[in-house]
Amino acid sequence: MTFLESAMLHVSAGRPIRARLSMTLLGYGVLALGACLLAPLVGSTSISLSRALDRSIPFADNVDAQIFFIARLPRVLAGAIVGASLASAGVVLQALLRNPLATPFTLGVSAGSALGAILAITFGAAVTLGPLSPVPLASLAGAFISATVVYAMATRPGRPISTSVLLLAGVTLNSFFSALILFVQYMGDFAEAYRTVRWLMGDLDVGGFGPILGALPLIVVAFVMFAMVSSSLNVLSVGTETAATRGVDVARTQRLAFVSAAIATSAAVSLAGPIGFVGIVVPHLVRLMTGVDHRIVLPAAALFGAAFLVACDLVARTVLAPVEVPVGVVTAMLGGPFFLWLLIRKG
Amino acid sequence: MTLQVQHVSFGYDAGRESLGEATRSFSLCDVSVTVQRGSLTGLLGPNGCGKTTLLKLMAGVLRPREGSITLDGQAIDAISRRELARHIAVVPQETHPAFDYSVLEMVLMGRHPHLGAFQLEGPDDIAIAHDALSATGTSHLAGRAYMTLSGGEKQRVVIASALAQVPEVLLLDEPTASLDLQYQMEVASLLGRLNQDRGVSMVLATHDLNLAASLCDWLVLVRSGRVVAHGPTREVLTAAMIQQLYDVEADVHFHEASGHLTVLPIRRTPMTTATPS
Amino acid sequence: MVAHPKRLILLSALLAVTCTARAAADAPAAAGRQVSGNGGAPITRIISLVPALTEMLFEIGAGPQVIAVSSYDEFPLAVKALPRVGALLDPDVERILALRPDLVLTYGSQSELETQLARVGVRTFTYRHAGVAGVLQTLRDLGAATGHAADAEREAREIQAQLDAVRARVREYQRPRTLLVFSRQPQSLQQMYVSGGVGFLDDILQIAGGSNVFADVQRESVQPSSETLLARAPEVIVETHATGMMASADAARERSLWATLASIPAVRSGRIHFLDGSYLVVPGPRMGLAAEALARALHPEAFK
Repeated sequence: MTFLESAMLHVSAGRPIRARLSMTLLGYGVLALGACLLAPLVGSTSISLSRALDRSIPFADNVDAQIFFIARLPRVLAGAIVGASLASAGVVLQALLRNPLATPFTLGVSAGSALGAILAITFGAAVTLGPLSPVPLASLAGAFISATVVYAMATRPGRPISTSVLLLAGVTLNSFFSALILFVQYMGDFAEAYRTVRWLMGDLDVGGFGPILGALPLIVVAFVMFAMVSSSLNVLSVGTETAATRGVDVARTQRLAFVSAAIATSAAVSLAGPIGFVGIVVPHLVRLMTGVDHRIVLPAAALFGAAFLVACDLVARTVLAPVEVPVGVVTAMLGGPFFLWLLIRKG
Repeated sequence: MTLQVQHVSFGYDAGRESLGEATRSFSLCDVSVTVQRGSLTGLLGPNGCGKTTLLKLMAGVLRPREGSITLDGQAIDAISRRELARHIAVVPQETHPAFDYSVLEMVLMGRHPHLGAFQLEGPDDIAIAHDALSATGTSHLAGRAYMTLSGGEKQRVVIASALAQVPEVLLLDEPTASLDLQYQMEVASLLGRLNQDRGVSMVLATHDLNLAASLCDWLVLVRSGRVVAHGPTREVLTAAMIQQLYDVEADVHFHEASGHLTVLPIRRTPMTTATPS
Repeated sequence: MVAHPKRLILLSALLAVTCTARAAADAPAAAGRQVSGNGGAPITRIISLVPALTEMLFEIGAGPQVIAVSSYDEFPLAVKALPRVGALLDPDVERILALRPDLVLTYGSQSELETQLARVGVRTFTYRHAGVAGVLQTLRDLGAATGHAADAEREAREIQAQLDAVRARVREYQRPRTLLVFSRQPQSLQQMYVSGGVGFLDDILQIAGGSNVFADVQRESVQPSSETLLARAPEVIVETHATGMMASADAARERSLWATLASIPAVRSGRIHFLDGSYLVVPGPRMGLAAEALARALHPEAFK
């Protein structure tokens, strides 16, 4: 065990959790807030903040203000929300499946989302619901169907969920939907195929607060459920029977965990497409820094996830300006080497 | 606290039942056990006889098909999970946490039933955890990662974790199964001390006859889901009983130096009596 | 396989990705010249996989010799009755061979197909995607390859005259900074593909008296973010669709989408134009129409 690990264990063993939780929330909160405040100031175009905030210039004339409030701010907000959702969903699913390699996409929800969106893109769907435009709406529908199928396959009333069935159902659905996606892409034309490929790479440029408002109710619900389940995750991750004997209502906790992760993931994917690696890199990074107590890891991962994705998007939109790199590519390019490094470290 | 199991039957194949099939496979049939306050009860029997199932039923993890299980007269399925966990704790045969928890974190998980929904451990909880660690002789391991411990140390930490629940009844499933002789004796003497000093009632499922002989004052012998015999150790642990339970001829003697019965297996005698199903 | 008109838009863009490198290597005048196979015999059975070349064939009088076309062909009307043999990615080799053509018009990247055809002695004419100048040269080369050289020359001059006429009409007017949109996700400003200062449609834009707001990027297609759109502040927005006319309700809704980026001059002045028609995306004989349509949108006062 390295010095760093033993030092961190000492910290986690020595300090009482209340103090650690407060400090963690404070530290990561400052990080997330800082990222959200700084990111709108930076971009491929240089703008002047004072001019953007200048009320005397009519909004429709003020390019700096338009860029700040319409192009950048919603984008940063979307990045924060999506990053927080994916990271938290990752933590919860890793505890539920008792596997640190689980991601929000393990249980097939994102494949269903993707299929819904791709069907909408290919067939030019035009149905809207409130602030949700056709593609996000179809994406949510696909996610809902997929999650319901997995849930139905893995649960029996009153009994704990079989995590192996859950995993298998998710993997099966992932494969099946991915095959369907390829088929739909093949049957479509160039324009549609290209757009679907692009959608799969993730895009935080939501272009306004409307799409965010569409996804927000779901994300709020998911986070409330995360809070409800947070204190049981440690015990649950040791084993379902151990958890039962420590007073956890295992069936209820598992269902809450699955449903909350599914809702958060589907909302995030419908807003910005399936952005990979956030749901696995962030929880691991956070665990390296805060230890493995889920009551700390969960909120820390949400905050760090927000900051992380906002930073990745910042890189995505500035590094090759005016051409934008899809944000999913940036997270993958950061995530891959990180995992290699983790593997080398463990081995 | 008296834990009473009365005429309990349990079977795993709930699905088949609902299809109206006549065949019922029961893991346990009409089992009755009383765990007196402060007693150290041993559950003995061959593999697959239902010992683990019985422990799970006692812990409230499984629900009996027939019969009832009560704690001080109150049915345990009427008690909430959390409340039950404040009285009954379980030490499972194996514990494999998925994440790299420290020893202290593992022990603090035992405080879960005592905490409110959003409550975090306070100084009292930490004190109880440390107390549990010292009771099991593992205080010096508090900052270590659980997964780096040896088998014996892990087992003691899990016991400490169960102790942190401050239970009146401790259920242990094969607590010394994977330990070497030194650790076996360590854990055995630890359990004996806990029972004596803290008055924790214990139920031990084991097939280590000598452990049962050395530790337990009350034995329950189970075969094929039925209780074959129960009573004080000296009365129940006889050669005839061992023959009936394991199809093994054994020599049972009181050993002066150790101060308890010892069992010496001699040979297998596979003349199986009709096993009740 | 039913032809879907709006596919043509990105078909062009994607072609550029595969063919631009080669086109850049050749001089513009050399585009589309390559003919293989034994020369001399008159061409009577032509199969065209390239919609632009199909249109050219009909313009130069080789229409009667066309026996099959690609899945994406739809102009002129005569092609609707003809059998289809696939397109860029999925040419139906068996069908092509079964029809026993003299000449097959292929894309530059379909080298396998060309090899197969050469093996059975079928002549091929290779099309390479290029700008306006390249189109006229291709027309001439096609005329030479099919024995309609004179017609082709006349046609090329006519088209050149049309383009020159448009150019002359708008010469005196200032060139507005124009955003030329190929496609975007319906009812959203996301996933927008616009012209990046290079290619056939950009050339048409230049002729029509506009200046590409992304001229400096020098790519066939760019995907701008909301921020980039606001920063570039185009004075005119032109959206091209190869489908039929957009219903007025739809047009109003699409306009209101643009209204969220209110500081863009084109939005403020209402200069958002939706142009429909396959002639906008096929680099063929109807270029003149495209140039005129675009010029009318950019400089309505020149056409009063």
